[in-house]
Amino acid sequence: MTNLVASALPSRAGWRRTGPAMVSAVAMVAMIAVCSSLQSEVLTVPGLALVLSTTVPLVIAAQAQMVLMAVGDIDLGIGNFVGLVTVITATKLVSSPGTGALLLLGLVAAYAVLGALIHLRRVPSLIATLGASFVWLGLGLFLLPTPGGSTPEWLASFGSWQPAGFPAPLLPILAVAALVWLLSARSSVGVRVRALGSNPVALQRAGLRPLAARVVAYAVAGGLGVLSGLVLASQTGGGDVSSASSYTLITVAAVILGGGSFAGGTAVPWGVAIGGITLGLVSVVLSLLDVPSNMQSAVQGVIVLAVLAGRVVVGKVLR
Amino acid sequence: MHVDNLPVGSHAAPPQGDRTPSPAPPVVTARRVTRTYGRTRALTGVDLDVRAGEVLGLVGHNGAGKSTLMRVLAGLEACDEGTVTVGGQEASRDVAPGTGPFRAVRMAYQETSLCPDLTVAENIWVSSRHCLPRLGWRRAASRAVARRLDEMFPSHRVAPRDRIEDLSLAQRQMVEIVRASLVDRLELLILDEPTESLGPDAARSLYAYVRRLTAQGTAVLLISHRIREVLSVADRVAVMRDGAVVAERPAAGLGEQDVLALMGAEVVEPTATPAPARAAGERPVVATLRGATGHGLHDVSITVGRGEVVGLAGLAGQGQQQVLERLWRPVRRDTTVAGTRAYVPGDRQRSGVLPLWSVAENLIVTAMRGLARYGVRRTGAEDVAVRDWVDRLAIRGGADAGMTELSGGNQQKVIVARAFASTADLVLLDDPFRGVDVHTKTDLYTLIRQEAAGGRSVVWYSSENAEMAHCDRVYVLRAGRVVAELTGAEISEERIIAVSFAESESTGAQR
Repeated sequence: MTNLVASALPSRAGWRRTGPAMVSAVAMVAMIAVCSSLQSEVLTVPGLALVLSTTVPLVIAAQAQMVLMAVGDIDLGIGNFVGLVTVITATKLVSSPGTGALLLLGLVAAYAVLGALIHLRRVPSLIATLGASFVWLGLGLFLLPTPGGSTPEWLASFGSWQPAGFPAPLLPILAVAALVWLLSARSSVGVRVRALGSNPVALQRAGLRPLAARVVAYAVAGGLGVLSGLVLASQTGGGDVSSASSYTLITVAAVILGGGSFAGGTAVPWGVAIGGITLGLVSVVLSLLDVPSNMQSAVQGVIVLAVLAGRVVVGKVLR
Repeated sequence: MHVDNLPVGSHAAPPQGDRTPSPAPPVVTARRVTRTYGRTRALTGVDLDVRAGEVLGLVGHNGAGKSTLMRVLAGLEACDEGTVTVGGQEASRDVAPGTGPFRAVRMAYQETSLCPDLTVAENIWVSSRHCLPRLGWRRAASRAVARRLDEMFPSHRVAPRDRIEDLSLAQRQMVEIVRASLVDRLELLILDEPTESLGPDAARSLYAYVRRLTAQGTAVLLISHRIREVLSVADRVAVMRDGAVVAERPAAGLGEQDVLALMGAEVVEPTATPAPARAAGERPVVATLRGATGHGLHDVSITVGRGEVVGLAGLAGQGQQQVLERLWRPVRRDTTVAGTRAYVPGDRQRSGVLPLWSVAENLIVTAMRGLARYGVRRTGAEDVAVRDWVDRLAIRGGADAGMTELSGGNQQKVIVARAFASTADLVLLDDPFRGVDVHTKTDLYTLIRQEAAGGRSVVWYSSENAEMAHCDRVYVLRAGRVVAELTGAEISEERIIAVSFAESESTGAQR
């Protein structure tokens, strides 16, 4: 009886995994449709570029969050971390590029150390990253107490790059998703990382060190966080440590929307890209709808809850 | 199952020569191996040889030390004393699986050691990466796993790209066994209850493959509680009891009853049908399960009378915990429970203690609501109750001590007292005395009898068969069925072992 396997199983399983990303893809298309009904120019190349540009740093930060959620951790410091990167970009990277670059590399290393600490001291990642988020905030305020500064020329020109044929923001979104996909789904490093989130006991029995897997995951997340901060600085043209503080929770929502799970083990870079764009578009839709800015946060939260509820329903139906 | 137990392969020992040493060299040797966890001595000095080209069956009851021995032989744990020699090389104290001599020892775990979110091929990489190329490992792993699956289980229907979580239990077990077998040089393959979730066809093809493996000189160590199966496959059988190997015999000429006797069972012909469910005397019935089926149970009928201590025995994981779960949450129509319930979990670290609370708070948390008036706690009444229980069970450290300051046995006393301090009519015990010292156990047994005399009913699952002597009635479960109901003088360790292993004719026919 037990070796009777429904032949429909694989396809159904496939649906179950891609279901959440499908839901958020539908939501994404719906939002673009709403935008274009309010502003017909949204569907042109410059229009799409304008609408999508705000989502790029969010999507990259969401990929960082996804890497950590793949090992079963959650990063509550990513928002302030991205903010700190914009501050370093707007100050040191302009005044002395060498020091600035070293500082950014140091931040990546700090993430790796954080991962090692979490593993060795058995601190819950929630606590450790929340603590780290205050460190990032403090460092950012120390370097640049008030928003300001400027961006290096090469970064500014990337921010204002306007190719004719396609919306420019799609390029970094797709490139980063492809990179993370190669790393997580195709490489053996990705297998280690996902195995750690899926079944650490199996990893240990196979003689692999969970510490190494976790440190690699944190280093990759740190690198993606730096990338997100650079892109954000290129768009805002300056540094502000609290410019990305809302990312912390939105990235978690984006991962869940894209088909990830809190339990770890899954890496869904393409889903996360869709989920991140969807959540980034919410604020665009709200401003096009003339929702008062002091109400926007509340409405945004309700929309996020609605889309997440949709994902849960789809997950239940496909089980 | 195959009945012929003629050993296959030139290396194997001749079936009749039980005293002549086997010509094949031992692959793995354990000498006077001991292992202690806290106060429990899991292994008390094991001597075991596994020779090249033989199938060695390992049998024993709950807690005999089988799984600990396997962990030591597979290099997951070091032994405290004694030596383990693998392929002529003595294992060092800081062992790690897959390193040094243990690279050629592979184990298929009963609960599997696969990552559910990874594909079959990726799981193969995790465990066999030493034998795969750095580039193109995915294709190499896929090819290897597909070929081995075809060889071992022709009807597997598993693709290397399938994720483990999408496979059925049987398919997961197949992948686990294949995973263990895929290595460049395999000297010893340990199979831990390999056929537990496999169907009969898959089991047959697995054992056919095992014979081919041993013909090539690989040793196979088979652990199973299906004694007939072990006897039909193995060349030799080693019997474990109380952390030591008490007997090693050639399988030829050995019968099921002989093995049971070696394991310490009282040799009785298994009763063909379970004793008819006796009405629990003139006691009013507190809880019943009528033909409960599903979630690992098959047609389980159980009654619990007022003031009765009912035991659930048998091998671990045969449905006892599911019965407790049904009684704890009687949501189905086949379960009726009159009155309130309390539950004592076995795993106190995970689901028992509130580690930051004091002993008093841990003890009273269930009874608190009953003592409170209009939802306001009555601390005076609570204090009286707590002091009473602390004195009664002689909990060291007193009421104000932190829960984590107590020893394991005393923590367990608090958790048991928590259930009995409440007003619950039915107390469910989920193997609560594992790893608890003898004095504490004796105190708690007395408590259970006292409370039962006072009109409480207790349903008690224990993996220690000796404990069942404190019960009025014992149901022995096997594969989710009640295979025997023992009362009064019938309850003995030997009897429980006999019925929990013996495959009675009725279950055999249904298979």
